[in-house]
Amino acid sequence: MTGLAARPVPVPDALSAPFWQAAARHVLTLAQCAKCHEVTLPPDLTCPHCHTIEPDFAFVPVDGTGRVRTWTVIRRSFLAGFENPFVLVDVELDGHPDMRLVARLLDGADAPLNIGTRVVVEFEDIAPGVAVPAFRLEQEA
Amino acid sequence: MSGLFKARNQVALVGFAHSKATRKPGRPLGVTALETARAAIADAGLTPHQIDGFVSSPLLPTTGDHAVEDGISTVTSNWLARHLGLDPAYVVGFQGIGQITGSLTLAVNAIASGAADYVLFHRALHLPPGKYNDNSLTEASGAMQWMAPMGFFGAMPAIALAYNEYCQRYGATREAMATLVCEARKNGSRIPWSAWYQKPLTVEQYMAEEMIIEPMCRLDADMPVEGVACFVLTSAERAKDLPHQPVYVSGYASGYPTKNRAMLHWTLDDMMHAGEGLSTRLWESSGFTASEIDLPQLYDGFSPFVYIWLETLGFCKRGEAHEMILSGGIDSDLPGTLPVMSGGGAIGNGRMHGVPQMLECYLQLSGRAGERQRGNVTTGLACHSTPHFGGAVVYSNDPS
Repeated sequence: MTGLAARPVPVPDALSAPFWQAAARHVLTLAQCAKCHEVTLPPDLTCPHCHTIEPDFAFVPVDGTGRVRTWTVIRRSFLAGFENPFVLVDVELDGHPDMRLVARLLDGADAPLNIGTRVVVEFEDIAPGVAVPAFRLEQEA
Repeated sequence: MSGLFKARNQVALVGFAHSKATRKPGRPLGVTALETARAAIADAGLTPHQIDGFVSSPLLPTTGDHAVEDGISTVTSNWLARHLGLDPAYVVGFQGIGQITGSLTLAVNAIASGAADYVLFHRALHLPPGKYNDNSLTEASGAMQWMAPMGFFGAMPAIALAYNEYCQRYGATREAMATLVCEARKNGSRIPWSAWYQKPLTVEQYMAEEMIIEPMCRLDADMPVEGVACFVLTSAERAKDLPHQPVYVSGYASGYPTKNRAMLHWTLDDMMHAGEGLSTRLWESSGFTASEIDLPQLYDGFSPFVYIWLETLGFCKRGEAHEMILSGGIDSDLPGTLPVMSGGGAIGNGRMHGVPQMLECYLQLSGRAGERQRGNVTTGLACHSTPHFGGAVVYSNDPS
């Protein structure tokens, strides 16, 4: 991080706090609706599946494995705090069709990627007590 | 709504004006907007006091750290009406993405319902000083907490993800995109108010450009400019007394996201899925089908959007837009093609949002395109943004 501005840290709110608390312990969670038990991310005021206004989300751990749906190599970030280049992957999580999460791939800009490449979540500690999800190629994990 | 638009061909574009799209405006945006508005009203054969409706969408489309000030960085319809010294009956702004098509529907509905007789419709785009999209955000709250901390920020990475999925799935090459971007710049180079007037681009120049957000380079995004476009709309009945051939609104449709995702997580599948619904509604509303549109003008604020619109509106089969483009299928100088960038688009004019698409439909269908006038053009289509965060409008110069 030497010479770089600070990366933006997430500001937890009433809905998101349990997600970031779990992330700080390096646990990936999804928001599960108390009414229909379907999962989503990000948590919203309603459940996007059953549309209840009282979703009372529980943040349930997932193993964080998945397959790459698509990716991009960022050679010029519009945001301060990131060393260029880096890779963003759009990952569909195992067992949750169409549940997709965009985060960094930590294997370098030349990592071999294809649609379907297997990855697993890994957390980046970006500030004291703050960690955010990223991914790593599964065979290297 | 389902079925044919009840106000089909009952509302018309009857005049326009366009300022220079420029990187060096030299004066406040509001001043340019006032001058352009007066020119459009005169072009329609009207006087300002006849305008009783003002409609726009004033968003400054950047993710950078820029203050918003009416008359300087945006121009709302209220600001414009007040500074023209008018007290109109109907003044509204569209809130949302897909600003041109979204706000146009407000103007059309106002005239169709009788809420206004003559509407001034405008879009004013500001070029803020400094870096357009850069952001020194250190804390990400609200919707942004699900993106920025993970390094996901700004529209271009969002589009690059969807575009790379397209490339991987269908084997699209960078040469195909070079052909598209050069087609936009070729047409824009022929338009006097374009920021790229007399500045066409070669495939070699495109291919030499370094990628900044793979597989996209700087040339795949429209260049931010300052500029104003104004159109005047009225009823088909009133349009009969005005100087120019009216261009009628035959129908329109919008699309919105149905999936819960991070704010800018615009997936290829989401866009295509929303496009199916949008297309069905558009053809029902307008009474036309894709094969009956002489002049589709597809939105290209980011170049990959053109692939998505070509396919989702049914102008080619899914996965084949890149091949159609590479083989000359959209070349405006060849006979028998579908010249979807003939107005230069956003890439060929500068970031005027969906204005170039709408304006090209108006100019060609009213017979006012000058040296660029195309023969035998009766129907047009202009879209803006994406099928899942935007819309499309069908135009005709034949009200029957």
